Amino acid sequence: MLTYVLKRVGQTVLTAFLAVATVFVLLRMAPGDPAANYAPPNPSSEQLEAIRQQFGLDQPIPVQFWTFLQHLFQGDVGTSFFFKRPALDVVLERLPYTITLAVAAIVVTSVVAIPLGVWMARRNNTAPELGANIGTIAGQSMPDFWIGFVLLILFAVNLHWFAPSGFDSATSIILPTLTIAILQIALISRLVRREMVVNLASPYLTVARSRGVSERALTWRYAFANAALPVVTALGTRFAAMLNGVVIVEVVFNWPGVGELVVNALKQRDFPLIQATVLVTVLLALAVQLLVDLLYPLMDPRVRLGEASS
Amino acid sequence: MRVLEVTDLQVELLTGTSVVRAVDGVSFHIDQGETVTIIGESGSGKSTTAMAILRLLPDDLAVISGEARIGGQDVTGSRKVIDKLRGRAVALIPQDPMTALNPIRTIGRQMTEAVRIKYPDLGRAEAKARALSLMEQVHIRNPAKQFDAYPHQLSGGMLQRVLIAMAVSTDADLIVADEPTSALDVTVQAGILDLLLELQEQTGIALLLITHDLGVARLMSDRVHVMKAGAFVEGGPVTDVVDHPQHPYTQKLLGAIPELGPWVDPGASEPLVKEASHG
Ligand SMILES: Nc1ncnc2c1ncn2[C@@H]1O[C@H](COP(=O)(O)OP(=O)(O)OP(=O)(O)O)[C@@H](O)[C@H]1O
Ligand SMILES: [Mg+2]
Repeated sequence: MLTYVLKRVGQTVLTAFLAVATVFVLLRMAPGDPAANYAPPNPSSEQLEAIRQQFGLDQPIPVQFWTFLQHLFQGDVGTSFFFKRPALDVVLERLPYTITLAVAAIVVTSVVAIPLGVWMARRNNTAPELGANIGTIAGQSMPDFWIGFVLLILFAVNLHWFAPSGFDSATSIILPTLTIAILQIALISRLVRREMVVNLASPYLTVARSRGVSERALTWRYAFANAALPVVTALGTRFAAMLNGVVIVEVVFNWPGVGELVVNALKQRDFPLIQATVLVTVLLALAVQLLVDLLYPLMDPRVRLGEASS
Repeated sequence: MRVLEVTDLQVELLTGTSVVRAVDGVSFHIDQGETVTIIGESGSGKSTTAMAILRLLPDDLAVISGEARIGGQDVTGSRKVIDKLRGRAVALIPQDPMTALNPIRTIGRQMTEAVRIKYPDLGRAEAKARALSLMEQVHIRNPAKQFDAYPHQLSGGMLQRVLIAMAVSTDADLIVADEPTSALDVTVQAGILDLLLELQEQTGIALLLITHDLGVARLMSDRVHVMKAGAFVEGGPVTDVVDHPQHPYTQKLLGAIPELGPWVDPGASEPLVKEASHG
């Protein structure tokens, strides 16, 4: 078990390193000169050259990368071109907003999708279930920016229930959360339904029913306890993906999270800030994924005890 | 005492486009302490008969008519009737023990759960003590260890013993056993049949046995019914049917069965735990 954890931590570090290295090189190979964004209007070539020198962009890419690595090992991810502050600090300031949004979205998803999926499985092939089924198919085929705009126009612009953007009050989180959650609810509820249908029809459930186990216990203690294994894994993976992927929703709602930050950083070619963002979000997502993978054997004795004996 | 009385039972299975009459007017009864066997080739409707009596067929699959009285109560109407009888007056021993238990709960948890369905007032410790004594009764060695094991850690024969213990835990009047040994190794089969006979002797429980094996039927039954295409073609005391089969179908079934020889108690040589989990 310990070697497994160490191996996974090693993989996580390596993956994060490769992600940052790729971004590092791609940013510098892309057209456009960051110096132009930070120089006065109509800069002279001397002025541009001075800025490049200041940012260390005058060096060949391998040299820049080596310097970056040396600083990285000392815990220094670089200084934001735009904020003139350590890039890591800027990212960490925005991170709580993104995490809050992702946690809110995953909680809403779980609370709605699990009962919905269980209900659909129990009412399999009835008219109301067909309605819910079509609803979830529609939900999973709508792009999230589109859901976002529809919610914005409906609830913020027309009904004035919520502020259209930014982070003013506690209610500001509702629309972006819903935008993310609607798609996830559609996906997860269909997974729950599929897993529940399989488990509800499985022999062990019929045998338990023959023993007089109540339908409620059969649904939750038997079928759902088994269906939960892939569902928890999926929720964890979705959560990890959200930490990286709520960019569009954050931009649509002007939510002050990491996604919104990185879009601006890309516009301003703020290389250190982009690198810091990639590093932090990739590490975070990988850590969540690792946690989920470690959780799995705890939930499934077949995996846990199978590993122990080998 | 009449434990089971089935009168003109019909089961129609709705399979998408067509309707299959899997059970077509079957009548029989079982008295206390009796073993009645339904024998027939694959697809003749044996399991459907048993599952209909236990009401384990989904409503959107099966339409049941006729009558089936367990302890005098007709179970073919409202499901409420069978809900009160399952795990109390009637129990099931399934065909494949390997898939018959919740894979992520220990044997012990599932056994105490079964014990407490019939006896809800038992405390945790009492239910556990009863479960352990039941495991001893079905000759599971080292019950305390197996109590904490998960289903995948036991062999098929041991799991079937656990499932028999669960069926017995209910003090039911009737046990339905649908091919209780056909998924098991030949060496393990005789031990399980032996156990069923032993338990029946101790408790006087009635047994509805389903098999396609005439050797098993002859060993276990008081009476047999020969089933073909949803209906009984022949029935009566086991010796009559086996020694003087009237129907050509029965004669054909008989021809396919080799003589059953004597055996030494295979329970003694049965592995307690699957090889794989020794790891
Ligand atoms: N779930 C089902 N859907 C559709 N048809 C079914 C279903 N279960 C059984 N049948 C059909 O009903 C008939 C009786 O099947 P049943 O399982 O009762 O036979 P059986 O005598 O138990 O056979 P076996 O010895 O193979 O277990 C068969 O024709 C079978 O194809
Ligand atoms: Mg069958």
